[in-house]
Amino acid sequence: MSSLTSVIPKLYQEYTTKTSKKLKIIDAYLLYVFLTAVIQFVYCCLVGTFPFNSFLSGFISTVSCFVLGVCLRLQVNPENKNEFQGLSAERGFADFIFAHLVLHIVVINFIG
Amino acid sequence: MPSAATENKANVPKKGIFNNTTGFSTLITVTVLSLAWLAGFASRLFAVIRFESIIHEFDPWFNYRSTAYMVQHGFYNFLNWFDERAWYPLGRIVGGTVYPGLMITSGTIHWILHTLNIPIHIRDICVFLAPVFSGLTAIATYLLTSELWSRGAGLFAACFIAIIPGYSSRSVAGSYDNEGIAIFALQFTYYLWLKSIKSGSIFWSICTALSYFYMVSAWGGYVFIINLIPLHVFVLLIMGRFSQRLFVSYSVFYIVGLLLSMQIPFVGFQPIRTSEHMAASGVFALLMAIGALKYLHSLNPKGQWKQLLILGGLVAAVTVFLAVVLLTYMGIIAPWSGRFYSLWDTGYAKIHIPIIASVSEHQPTTWSSFFFDLHVLVCTFPVGLWYCIKNVNDERVFVALYALSAVYFAGVMVRLMLTLTPVVCVLAGIAFSILLDLVLREDETPAPTQESDDKNLYDKAGKLKKRTPEPVGETGLGMNVRSGTLIAFMILLMLFSVHCTWATSNAYSSPSIVLASYGNDGSRKILDDFREAYGWLSQNTAEDARVMSWWDYGYQIAGMGNRTTLVDNNTWNNSHIALVGKAMASNETAAYNIMTMLDVDYVLVIFGGAIGYSGDDINKFIWMVRIAEGEHPKDIHEADYFTERGEYRIDSEASKTMLNSLMYKLSYYRYDSGGSPPGFDRTRGALPGLRGFKLTYLEEAYTTEHWLVRIYRVKKPDEFNRPRLPLAKRTIQTSNVMSKKLAVDIGHMTSKRRKGALKNKPILVKGKKVTKLD
Amino acid sequence: MLPAMAKIQFFAFILLYVASNCISVNVDNISSDVRIKNVDRSIDISSQLVKISSKITFENAGKVPVKQFLLAVEGAAKNNLAFIGARDSNNKDLRLVETTVKGHDNVKFYRVELKEPVNAAASVVITSDAVFSKALLPHPTAITQQEDQLVKYNSNLYFYTPYKVLTQKTTVVLNTKSVESFTKVKPFSQQDGNINYGPYSNIEPFTEKELSLHYKNNSPFLTVTRLERLIEVSHWGNIAIEEIIEIEHSGAKLKGPFSRYDYQQDHHSGPASVRSYKTLLPASASDVYYRDTNGNISTSNMKVKKDSVELDLRPRYPLFGGWRSHYTLGYNVPSYEYLYHSGNEYLLKMRAVDHVFDDMQIDELVTKIILPEGSTNIKINFPFAVTRLPDSLHYTYLDTKGRPVITFKKSNVVENHIQDFQLRYTFPRILMLQEPLLVVGFLYALFLCVIVYVRLDFSIHKPEHLKE
Repeated sequence: MSSLTSVIPKLYQEYTTKTSKKLKIIDAYLLYVFLTAVIQFVYCCLVGTFPFNSFLSGFISTVSCFVLGVCLRLQVNPENKNEFQGLSAERGFADFIFAHLVLHIVVINFIG
Repeated sequence: MPSAATENKANVPKKGIFNNTTGFSTLITVTVLSLAWLAGFASRLFAVIRFESIIHEFDPWFNYRSTAYMVQHGFYNFLNWFDERAWYPLGRIVGGTVYPGLMITSGTIHWILHTLNIPIHIRDICVFLAPVFSGLTAIATYLLTSELWSRGAGLFAACFIAIIPGYSSRSVAGSYDNEGIAIFALQFTYYLWLKSIKSGSIFWSICTALSYFYMVSAWGGYVFIINLIPLHVFVLLIMGRFSQRLFVSYSVFYIVGLLLSMQIPFVGFQPIRTSEHMAASGVFALLMAIGALKYLHSLNPKGQWKQLLILGGLVAAVTVFLAVVLLTYMGIIAPWSGRFYSLWDTGYAKIHIPIIASVSEHQPTTWSSFFFDLHVLVCTFPVGLWYCIKNVNDERVFVALYALSAVYFAGVMVRLMLTLTPVVCVLAGIAFSILLDLVLREDETPAPTQESDDKNLYDKAGKLKKRTPEPVGETGLGMNVRSGTLIAFMILLMLFSVHCTWATSNAYSSPSIVLASYGNDGSRKILDDFREAYGWLSQNTAEDARVMSWWDYGYQIAGMGNRTTLVDNNTWNNSHIALVGKAMASNETAAYNIMTMLDVDYVLVIFGGAIGYSGDDINKFIWMVRIAEGEHPKDIHEADYFTERGEYRIDSEASKTMLNSLMYKLSYYRYDSGGSPPGFDRTRGALPGLRGFKLTYLEEAYTTEHWLVRIYRVKKPDEFNRPRLPLAKRTIQTSNVMSKKLAVDIGHMTSKRRKGALKNKPILVKGKKVTKLD
Repeated sequence: MLPAMAKIQFFAFILLYVASNCISVNVDNISSDVRIKNVDRSIDISSQLVKISSKITFENAGKVPVKQFLLAVEGAAKNNLAFIGARDSNNKDLRLVETTVKGHDNVKFYRVELKEPVNAAASVVITSDAVFSKALLPHPTAITQQEDQLVKYNSNLYFYTPYKVLTQKTTVVLNTKSVESFTKVKPFSQQDGNINYGPYSNIEPFTEKELSLHYKNNSPFLTVTRLERLIEVSHWGNIAIEEIIEIEHSGAKLKGPFSRYDYQQDHHSGPASVRSYKTLLPASASDVYYRDTNGNISTSNMKVKKDSVELDLRPRYPLFGGWRSHYTLGYNVPSYEYLYHSGNEYLLKMRAVDHVFDDMQIDELVTKIILPEGSTNIKINFPFAVTRLPDSLHYTYLDTKGRPVITFKKSNVVENHIQDFQLRYTFPRILMLQEPLLVVGFLYALFLCVIVYVRLDFSIHKPEHLKE
């Protein structure tokens, strides 16, 4: 357990040094989306899920934004070059935008 | 693919356009695929050529009716369509209880053609939709197999699926059902899934989700996808094959697919409420947890992370599982439905849900039907499976899982044979491809002259093409062995294609609403009694007349007769069906009470005794009794309908309850036609026990030429001096048990039904008249 | 006071209405110079129609030559009148014009225009044919399956005419001896399914005396309630004809159950029902189809005869009283038999309505003629009075601006209306090339697209390769 607590500052240090600036922007975005999801969830716990589809579409859209952000981060990260062969960062970003288009069209339809 | 291309190039004189090897192999591929399409399309046209362009069977009539409604009234009206012609007096919200993919597909085709001023009737589009989609399925299978193995194997698989009886059984022209387009959606989704897992691209994942959406809109069998893909991911995780590509493709597919699937009104919130869908979300959570741990691991690769990773993964898995169990327990997530249970426990349906057990398609599959539907492929696909497992990679794990689960499901239920068929084609394609690779390794002159021969032997086109891929390598086999094997396999494939044509033409191409009988001189006679009766109903009864019949005929009465029905093939309300069953099983007076309660104007029964048609209502009667007994155990007892020795018979030895039941009376009322003793029942080979009786509450309204359909009019109270039932008492005693039809059912029931235990059961081919009416 | 006012107003209104009617329609006078020497009338009521054929000898008792006579139809029967025609002694059709006579508002008059005037004291023989539909009423109105159909016919014992008739004879053709009751005004005789009345002499104009017959009539009482006839002309040598027919058994209604057992047991069961009927198509008809909304009706036979194609149509079920059926019948005929042209001018000569079954009666006929795309200057001549409906456009394969559709309507049609209409139009022949060119152009564009796509595909990949 002690090792776990000691590890956390170390992790933070690793993160700040190793991660490029581009990725940090994505991480900030991810954090923001994550917090939105948490707020939505808390809200629904407190107030209720009455228009269930609206809650669902809101919540799922944040989750998917998060997931898509993570995916973009994975694809853009130069460390993962070998995993994603033939996928340039630009391609990744284009895919990201395409996915968001599809996602938000559906969400708008679903939110009622 | 590269090998095929390069080898081809070597054999073709290098000049002009053929310098481009990809061009040439594309040409071959396109040719073979279009020939496969053509062959598949052509082999499905037997019914149209023999009879006419007509919608078959039962469920397609409903699909056709709703498609026609959609074309006429527009998409939004269709979604909000409340059909008061079905399930009288309850009605049915059609828009919310169908998978609209099929209707939208044909509606879109209709719309496009009409904007181009091509006035094709919507019926013809519906009739030919399934054959056209079989070609698309072949292409999807080709793509899937080439992702898995090679393009050669893909061509084989495409040719197989184009003509295999297991698939054409559900996609002949006129069989306008969800399965027709769903198999294409299934194969295409799997192809895109493999593509996305290979590339790790968000784009392909989104495409997978969109294709999955189409599948959800088309067929209840989408549950198969949403369980198989998580299973694949899960197995990959267990095998230690986690990769970021997997993470990307699955998480994007899952979350977008989830959202998309909830857009279908019939599916609604099921993806987050029912157990069938929980595996997918569990795997999603697990993948998230593992992804996070992996990331932390990557930040600090040293240390005790390895153990932590495994531990964390396990903890995550257990947590997810417990959460699902807990939520189920608390009732937030619906437990598995009865139809889903019946997949695991084959005896379940028999005990608890007679209405499922009564459908012959829900019976366990026999060995012979495996062979009948798949023929030689059933023997060869294990070879392909073995090769896939031997040279395993991420995609091949998938196909192995696909094959294993599909084999299991096909064994449980006859109709799920349909999910097995595509994977068998894929694996058999791989097997044949490997084998021919082996045999033809040295055969250096695959002449392009054979191109022309392919045209008349489409199904072998794939094979001949297969001559082209010749991996460079040393010879292993002797010349004689090689040619011997080659010839043997040629013959095998030939037999396969002959069998496919034969099976499609003889077993699966009967529209079942038009019967054909053959006289002694070979002349063909068409028995058109069903349409005769429905035509009569539509023209000569009041517009709002309510017709009571067993649920099998509900869709047809609505589709062809355009009259209100009480129950139909949707079977969503078991108690309503049981009430109709009770009416049929009761004596005339009791039945009349039920019928006035339900405002029945006409009663329609199917009686095959005059021509020896075995699928008639007397043979189904025992299921009506059983279903009625399930809801009304006080009034109906199954044992009453059997003789003391437990036989089901209709002659003079039959039980009194049987002889007095409404169904019996309506079937044999004034029946004196048939065989040598007048009134002989040919289907059951017996003389009816009760004859010359009179009906008090009903009168014969119409009987078709061969007595197949008999329609009775329910008399009004003043027609036999009976006090009218007060309005207040005319309520329906329905218990609120509604056996909701769930997704696992994979589409609707059709009524190829199991026959009751019959004495002297004649051996009859379904839908064929065996004897000639004088 | 007020009611009286209203009454006056009402009368004034009626007068106005009548007056306006008179203005719009021809007015004739009954010439007192004309007498009818002899009338030989035959009333055929053996089928569902009433066919009256009268041989009338007109005599000019005046001083000046007379060129026209009047035929009259009494008020009771005029609504059932489907067709009326007149022939001279050479069997040549004479022109008939509907007209009115002052003081006889309730009577329908037709003016027969003779080819040559009749001189004083001379006489002329004219045969007039009239067909009445729905004049035979089933009585009782509902019968059981086994019963015969009895019908009642009410008419005028005397020939109804605005002229004085010196002698007249009437033969009623029943084709049956089972007559329940009939009017007995001497002299009369009954023989071989016929009833003869007369001769009666010196009957004054407009004399009415009831003739009533109640007899067995099992001939098919079928009414086509609506017939939609679609003629699609193609300049590629084909004319497609499709008829959508709604049919009803208009005889006595079926009372009680229908028993298949009885119906199969002996062939005389259901005497008033209709099992099948024959339709005659033009001799060149090919590709005949017979279907309804549920698909082909498999119960029909086709016989190709010398001058026609005979179809033996069996509805899906036998038609009993009050039962209905509907179907679509279609076929193709070669256009050279019906379409004539000189240069760009075309003339289409076709039947406005065709045979459905013998002694047919059609309540409503709608005929639509679809001309090739680009036809202009459309002029049409009808053989009888019809209501022309607004023209419309029809879109079918490879159409761009739609094909002109001519529609007309006529109610109460019988066999005598099977006559040709003539339709003239202009069609620039160069337009025939439009459709093939459209296909060629489309394919060309398609291939062009593929070529461009292949090139483009290459150019999309390139930057990615370059990047790597």
